Amino acid sequence: MLRLEAVSYRYAGAQAPSVVKVSLVLGPGEVVGLVGANEAGKTTTCLVAAGLAPRAMGGDLSGQVTVGGRRLADLPSGEVAAVVGIAFASAQLSGICSTVYEEVAFGPMNLGLPRNEVMARTVRALEAVAIGDLAARDPAHLSGGQRQLVVLAGLLAMEPEHLVLDEPTAHLDPVGTGLVGTAITRLAAGGASILIAEHKTDLLAAICGRVVALDHGRVVLEGAAESMLADPKLERLGVDPPTSVRLRRLAVAAGVDPGRLEVAT
Amino acid sequence: MAATVTAVNATLLGGVLGPVALTLVAVVLPAAVAGILPRLLRVGLVVALPLAISVLVVNLFFFPSGASVLFRIGPVTATAEGLAYAIETLVRLVAITGALVLFYLTTPIGSLVVDLERRGVSARVAFVVSASVRTVPAVIERAGQIADAQRARGLDTEGSLWRRVRGLVPLVGPVLLGSIGEVEERAMALEARGFSRPGRRSLLWAPADSDAERIARWLMVLSVPLLVVAGLTGWLA
Amino acid sequence: MIEVAVEELVHTYPGGVRALDGVTLRVEAGESVALVGQNGSGKSTLVRHLNGLLRPTSGQVLVGGADASGRRVAELAAQVGLVFQEPDRQIFAGSVRGEVEFGPRNVGLRGEALEAAVRAALEAVGLAGAESTNPYDLGASRRKLLAVASVLAMGTPVLVLDEPTTGQDRVGVARIRQVVADARAAGRTVIAVSHDLRFVADVFERVVVLRAGRVVLDAAPERAFAAENWETLRGTGLEPPMAAVIASRLGLETVATEDALVAALAARAA
Repeated sequence: MLRLEAVSYRYAGAQAPSVVKVSLVLGPGEVVGLVGANEAGKTTTCLVAAGLAPRAMGGDLSGQVTVGGRRLADLPSGEVAAVVGIAFASAQLSGICSTVYEEVAFGPMNLGLPRNEVMARTVRALEAVAIGDLAARDPAHLSGGQRQLVVLAGLLAMEPEHLVLDEPTAHLDPVGTGLVGTAITRLAAGGASILIAEHKTDLLAAICGRVVALDHGRVVLEGAAESMLADPKLERLGVDPPTSVRLRRLAVAAGVDPGRLEVAT
Repeated sequence: MAATVTAVNATLLGGVLGPVALTLVAVVLPAAVAGILPRLLRVGLVVALPLAISVLVVNLFFFPSGASVLFRIGPVTATAEGLAYAIETLVRLVAITGALVLFYLTTPIGSLVVDLERRGVSARVAFVVSASVRTVPAVIERAGQIADAQRARGLDTEGSLWRRVRGLVPLVGPVLLGSIGEVEERAMALEARGFSRPGRRSLLWAPADSDAERIARWLMVLSVPLLVVAGLTGWLA
Repeated sequence: MIEVAVEELVHTYPGGVRALDGVTLRVEAGESVALVGQNGSGKSTLVRHLNGLLRPTSGQVLVGGADASGRRVAELAAQVGLVFQEPDRQIFAGSVRGEVEFGPRNVGLRGEALEAAVRAALEAVGLAGAESTNPYDLGASRRKLLAVASVLAMGTPVLVLDEPTTGQDRVGVARIRQVVADARAAGRTVIAVSHDLRFVADVFERVVVLRAGRVVLDAAPERAFAAENWETLRGTGLEPPMAAVIASRLGLETVATEDALVAALAARAA
């Protein structure tokens, strides 16, 4: 159980906090979507939930973040990563691994797991996002989308209980996006809890149980994915509704029975 | 290890013949076997040439106890003693340079780092070594991408020299900022992958270490004190 | 206004990867074309030939009817403006205005013309009030819009956008759409590389599908997304837009966009 309680965070050197009194609960097996316009606080929320803000970047945090009842701030350095994994939109690599295989194995190696376990997890993670054929390549020479899959695999290999994903499909084509969605669903089925910030509401509609909407750093809407994503307020918040919702609205606006569209989907 | 030993021994051996023989055995032969002799020569030349030239010039013309004059150029005199000393120094220089270049060309950085870690060097130090070596090519590549982006906006990198120098301004900023920004992001990414966790990391593999290699290593280590003793007892005069 | 073309274009990267395997494509002056395909299909490689950043291993690149091979990148840049995927690879100025001025200045604009170009570009991407802001104080997605503005201001007859909607929120995507619409209205040739088939269907008049360095489909969206081409699309890792799928299931004539789908339904009901 990952819990944010009335969390406000201000970046070092910033005038105003980027998120204000945000509360969020992530239970085991849950996939929660985070939506909002750019700069509404999605990335900041992700950094706080993963324990990187303020620990790795300074700034002021009020409220608290707990994992399984323990405060993240109290956990020793390095322990946090074992419990909460985070993938950034920028798909940052370790910088010292010369093959994708090593890059994916990097996390498990840091966790000090036995060699066989490291290798088994690496192979599983590579398969989960279907990049087995990239295993021998140099990660520095991959395309943006391929790098994003490698970073995700690296995270999956650590098998964290909680996963925070900040726009993990930004550079991915529809196939890649689908793979990520499947991998996330499988992880959640295994008991992990996942927070995913995204613009692609079609993806969120497919994999999330709950969705939280941010506006100017505050939670303004939250609820079950289906009803949330159909909420007309979302468009005003800078969020593109899922295709099915969009089509239904277009149909209604044109005087066409939306039911006819639903039959076909 | 071989490089250090060769370098040390080269210094200890007196005369000219010693270092030349050493170079042939410890540098040229292995390089030829590994098939990198031409590359070795090229890199070695680039590295050693400036130093070699200054050694030659300084000693040839300004050797303190030079007496037998070879020739004069204006105010300076070239002496035979100076030449002899210069040659002695040069062969040592060649041996040392050769050994170091051989090391650089034949050791994959990955193996070096893993081996260091296996022998107990902390993961962070190993990381710094790795990252430093990979940084230069990474920055060069980044600079190339940035240059491309600026050229696509009309920056002229193929015109006159002055234009090209002026053209560096829009390149420096993104290269520096980008590299610094990347360091920050990388630090967070490493943190997120558990890098700062205390305790030992598991290592996937270790470079193979055969008995033959281990024996060779001990022989090389022993050769140093042997040469010192030999030198002291006047054996190598 | 100019056309661009590539003929039998082959490009092999130094590592041996054959990114383009004989592509022949012609884009007429004023046309709007979207290049789609999986990661690694050669889309970005192709567009980098249009301003000379990459040179063909074999084949020809023609810009405005003239061979690009003898011409410097800086020269071609005045005709073909390319917006990169990664804005942070080009941003160097301390202010938004400084950044946007760079391109047009390089291609020779000065004085009033320069002012007008910069102002128009900033308006188009919604950064009009932010002239003196430091680009790194903008969020990543607004920096991307800044990169678009800095190329727009150059006023090139050909505009190439590499993944322009990636990471953009609703407002950002709307701005990109408007930028393309305005460019088309001004008669500019617009080429975009994109994964976003909805964006493609709504905004472009021609879709070129690449796979493993070759063109496998080249048609207007209505035909490209018709049922007969779904297998080809799926073979390249793409799914046809929902609108096209629904139209087919309902037995309607192929449509590419959601608006067209609803209009078709309304027409049938009428």
